[in-house]
Amino acid sequence: MTLYEKIKSLYPSLENKDFTSVIILQNDSDGKGDYIAKWEHPTLPRPTDEELA
Amino acid sequence: MSSMILNGDTSGAITVTVPAVAGTNTATLPAATGTVMVSGNMPAFSAYANTNQSIGASTFTKLQINSTATTGFDTNSNYSISNYRFTPTVAGYYQINGAVGYTANPGTYGIATIYKNNSEFLRGTQGSNTNCIVSGIIYFNGSTDYVELWAYASNASTASGVSYLTYFNGSMIRAA
Repeated sequence: MTLYEKIKSLYPSLENKDFTSVIILQNDSDGKGDYIAKWEHPTLPRPTDEELA
Repeated sequence: MSSMILNGDTSGAITVTVPAVAGTNTATLPAATGTVMVSGNMPAFSAYANTNQSIGASTFTKLQINSTATTGFDTNSNYSISNYRFTPTVAGYYQINGAVGYTANPGTYGIATIYKNNSEFLRGTQGSNTNCIVSGIIYFNGSTDYVELWAYASNASTASGVSYLTYFNGSMIRAA
């Protein structure tokens, strides 16, 4: 399951546009995988590492 | 051919040469202070992707623009094909362009965007397009500033490894 899929399973209400603005997931193409670069959602808290494990 | 040699204060010299061609021509310098730009100190590059690249759903991903050969160029060796970034060594203002071609519809949002110093700086096309572009003028300090081309797709997608679909290029337009 990708990072995006994990976040969507935690917060099904998130929409496509959220991931272009208030939540930014990034992959530096360096083999280290996806990570949360920005989380500024007005109501939903940033998931913990445990929730994303 | 006539020449005029200007010697540096401590070393080096610049030779101004007039070609032996009939006719009188005039080169006028503006009444302003600045650096005269010639081809040797105006970096330009043109790079492209030569392999397909997977783009994860809803994840901004650095594009592996990995070739300046064949149809590309890199006049001042300022583009890295190993970390996919342009780091010009001459300070100034540069026109930077990028495009990503998806092999299929990227979903609600397909985006091409330029990152400067690892932060999103200039977002271009944002929509359900298989071809997304970004373009703008960016200042570089000539030492540490760099740019990369990143892509985004709402659905898991593939960025094309065709040179005329996924590319990244730029050129200095004015000195600092």
